[in-house]
Amino acid sequence: MATVSLVGLTKKFATLPAVDNLHLEIGDGEFVSLLGPSGCGKTTTLRLIAGFLEPDGGEIKVGNEVISSSTVMVPPERRAMSMIFQSYAVWPHMTVFQNVAYGLKFQKLSTREADQRVSQFLSLVRLDALKDRYPAELSGGQQQRVALARALVVAPRILLMDEPLSNLDAHLREEMRSEIRRLHEEIRITTIYVTHDQAEAMATSDRIAVLNSGRMVQVGRPGEIFDHPKTRFVAEFVGKTNILSGRFDGGNQMFVRDGLQIRVAGGAEFNARSDAFVCLRPHNIVLMADESRAREMERQGYNLFAGLVRRQIYFGDAVDYTVELPAHSLNLRIITPPSQRYEQGQKIYALAHPDHCVVIKE
Amino acid sequence: MLAAETSGRYWGGLKLKGWDSTLPVWVGASLLLVLLMAFPLGAIFSTSVRNQAGLTFGNYAEVFTKPAFLTAIRNTIIISFWVGLIAVIVGGLLGWLVTRTDLPWKKTVRALVMASFVTPPFLGAFAWTLLAGPNAGALNKLFRAVTGGDEFLFNIFTMTGLIFVMALYSFPYAFSMIANVCELISSDLEDAAVILGANKLKTAWTITLPLALPALLSGFIIAFLHSLSLFGAPAILGLPAGIHTITTQIWTLFQYPPRLELAAAFSVPLLLATMVLIGLQKRILGRRGFSTVGGRGGQKRVVKLGWGRVPVFILVLAILSCSVFLPYWILLKAAFSRAWAMPLDWGNFTVENFSYVLFQYSDTQRAILNTFKLGILTATTGTLLAMLIAYITNRNILRGARYLSFFALAPLVIPGIVLAVGLFIVYTQPPVVLYGTVWILFIAFLTKEMPIGFSQAESTFKSIHVELEDASRILGANRLVSLKDVTAPLARSGLIAAWCFIFIGVIRELSAAILLFAPSSKVISVVIFDLKEEGQVGAISVLGILLLAVSFLIILAVQRLLGRDLVTARE
Repeated sequence: MATVSLVGLTKKFATLPAVDNLHLEIGDGEFVSLLGPSGCGKTTTLRLIAGFLEPDGGEIKVGNEVISSSTVMVPPERRAMSMIFQSYAVWPHMTVFQNVAYGLKFQKLSTREADQRVSQFLSLVRLDALKDRYPAELSGGQQQRVALARALVVAPRILLMDEPLSNLDAHLREEMRSEIRRLHEEIRITTIYVTHDQAEAMATSDRIAVLNSGRMVQVGRPGEIFDHPKTRFVAEFVGKTNILSGRFDGGNQMFVRDGLQIRVAGGAEFNARSDAFVCLRPHNIVLMADESRAREMERQGYNLFAGLVRRQIYFGDAVDYTVELPAHSLNLRIITPPSQRYEQGQKIYALAHPDHCVVIKE
Repeated sequence: MLAAETSGRYWGGLKLKGWDSTLPVWVGASLLLVLLMAFPLGAIFSTSVRNQAGLTFGNYAEVFTKPAFLTAIRNTIIISFWVGLIAVIVGGLLGWLVTRTDLPWKKTVRALVMASFVTPPFLGAFAWTLLAGPNAGALNKLFRAVTGGDEFLFNIFTMTGLIFVMALYSFPYAFSMIANVCELISSDLEDAAVILGANKLKTAWTITLPLALPALLSGFIIAFLHSLSLFGAPAILGLPAGIHTITTQIWTLFQYPPRLELAAAFSVPLLLATMVLIGLQKRILGRRGFSTVGGRGGQKRVVKLGWGRVPVFILVLAILSCSVFLPYWILLKAAFSRAWAMPLDWGNFTVENFSYVLFQYSDTQRAILNTFKLGILTATTGTLLAMLIAYITNRNILRGARYLSFFALAPLVIPGIVLAVGLFIVYTQPPVVLYGTVWILFIAFLTKEMPIGFSQAESTFKSIHVELEDASRILGANRLVSLKDVTAPLARSGLIAAWCFIFIGVIRELSAAILLFAPSSKVISVVIFDLKEEGQVGAISVLGILLLAVSFLIILAVQRLLGRDLVTARE
């Protein structure tokens, strides 16, 4: 079973902890992303798992076997893992075929078997036609696919990916991330994927672990992370959001300011009268100009904010509004479908369902 | 933040990166290096604090109070500083010109810089005595003929002359480093600054220079340390004028009656000073990432020199005339002349110098054979060891790996002559008596050439992105296999360059050989020094030309093999 357990994993550079007491269980065949800003310790974590770094504390297990701890350190070449690197790390002195075939050298395969496997994986990543090229003759995306085939051909227990798409242009990135997800669904190798791009993490992963300053902030399915962030950091790092600070009443009310009161969801772990924040995604707010309809929805339980359209940015597939709430000197960001258009300065009503007003902590 | 730092368990004082079947190789190579350096250094230290009576600091006291020694130290610092500075300026200018501008004949310029590097400083110094000696010097005679006076234009037997000649043969070290870096700095980085509104000068100042700064600093330090350890040039140019440097002073201490303990005491502070210097350099450089050869390389744009193209080219020619054209011309002339100072006409022409050196004089014949045997042996062993050590320090395989680079670079501050004293002390007494054989020369050369091989290998490894290697390890290759399959092939040209550097270093080595040779193990440089005492200008020139010719042949062969230039060795 290629499950991976990180137990209290700690790594310090000089005296600064780069990875701080990390706990994470990764299931067999699961695709987990380590998501966070640069310097959050995600790459360090990955290199600890690969065995390129030795932990200062805690341990790493694959199945029941300890591979890194204070007493055990299995070298990378004996971990039966594969890794895809940010720089691709495709060897410039070998052809595409030789690159992909390299890892099979260390497995007991006949030449014919090995060649067959290489060809199979080259066609999996659609590179069969280019097998005799040198990497310098390939585009970035093609080099990336060489790296992918090279990592997969050895049938690793675990696949590690370190920002594999960050050197590609946006278009190719989108294409490759669905390609990665497609391949994963095909072969179901336990995968740990490091990225700072939340969209990439969302598109590829079964679960996402958000890291900040070497610590785990939240783990969950992409939807959970997006809809129910636990902290302000997660809310702001994953997707766009409005953050309102206020005081939580312990039930389902937040007192924001100047009499602005919001019905909220969650917050079970908060005490009454504690300081907290409300996370309100711009997509989850409905705009309307018709006051009576707005009042009607308020009666049904929606939060109602009366305001003025301050700014609007047209994106083609959406419109990004900034709505000022004069009574509370607050601005809300709201994203609507392009079919709804409002004028600058127009009086408007913004409505948000309590389920979409999530109480979070700092 | 990547593989740079690690920790682990202690094992015999070394902290390991995890159990690894290749460990014995790394530990073995490290021990070999440490022993190689520790024996002679230990001998020097222990000799420096002893006299007939026992332990004493009297040697140090004597060294630091006697005016003669203090003057030698002062001279050495002044000379080395100026040599380092000139080397960086000239080397930096040429390095930038041949990599990033539309200077004409860039390949030829590179080849000529290589020629300067290949020219042994003692040979260059000897040639310059023929060119700019105050009386018979060819340039001074020309000057007198032109002006009609009886003044001389240059006197090479001065401090300035010494600095001039030493800088001529030190600048290729700086050139090599700077040209390499200039090739690595992609124009994108500079363009980014231009886009932000920086003009050419501002871009050079804020982007190019800081990026090149580590190379400039390293170039200065290497040239400084190189000039510190030179013996031949100061002996030939300084001694006649009574100018002593540390090395010539030490050499004097070995003349009868030898004062080994003073020489030892004289070199210890030097060693400590360099430790500090190299430590400082590491500190400055260590904070910047210099991983450059990765999956993708940046674009390089050529700077147009415009109207300055011709004047700049003439300046380059002038520099190279001083290091190559003039000295070679005078050596060739002397080699084919009966009387070197006379005009070379049919009456003066002869090939007797050649037949004398090659066929009649058994000393020179044996020396030639010894020299090339030692060259091949040392270069091969040295490259292998340097590669392993550079790999260990670069990938931080063993705890304390960075101290290994101190050991590998230590010979830079051990003037060859001091190293020779150390080896002399160690290997003239049991258990291992090597004095009188070529093996003591082999050990001396292997030790002495380690810095060149090591820094060449190290900078090559540094430029290979660690992920290229990680990629092979995670697929099942252990460190040695990964070194063989990925790193060494990518570093191939750098390693071949290291071999050549060591070979050429060996065949022109003088300062260690001068103390360690026995009649049966004389090498060319020693014979040249002998002949100099006898005033045999013709024979010296022949040997010098032979040394140069062989060096060039090797370089040409290797360049053909690699299809590119050696001084700026990279993929």
